[in-house]
Amino acid sequence: MSMFAVVRKQLKSHPALIPLFVFIGGGATMSMMYLARLGLRNPDVCWDRKNNPEPWNKMAPTDQYKFYTVNMDYSKLKKQGPDF
Amino acid sequence: MSETIEEKIKSYRTAPFDARFPNTNQTRNCFQNYLDYHRCNKALSATDQDVAPCDWYQRVYKSLCPMSWVSKWDEAIESGSFPGKI
Repeated sequence: MSMFAVVRKQLKSHPALIPLFVFIGGGATMSMMYLARLGLRNPDVCWDRKNNPEPWNKMAPTDQYKFYTVNMDYSKLKKQGPDF
Repeated sequence: MSETIEEKIKSYRTAPFDARFPNTNQTRNCFQNYLDYHRCNKALSATDQDVAPCDWYQRVYKSLCPMSWVSKWDEAIESGSFPGKI
């Protein structure tokens, strides 16, 4: 933990470095958060094969998966009866 | 929309849009319908029901999948080495 003490000393003598830390830290945080969101909220990702085997099958037929659709009316019906 | 399955199968033209697979790459759509067809057959014949509704999945995967994949998977199922869960 002596690294933080060194950095604090340097920052005190060069305060212009503080925005550098802010922006780099913010960028790194946002990247990690996006990766976490992709890993946890993406229906294509399957973590638990026993209890949640195919999460993409849990989407309703009206769920929009893409970010932007040009001319897609998402009030569709489910194909084929539930049998298993 | 309360068409019965027989009417839907009779008026089938091509695979309909599936919200689970909206992008250009339809590989997983093909594989999912193949799996669903076999799972449907297994489930309905286990309870002695008519397996005719499963034909919907067969029409869809025959529309989507390349024939070489389908024959490869069929051979794998017969030899017991199919990797999917059916």
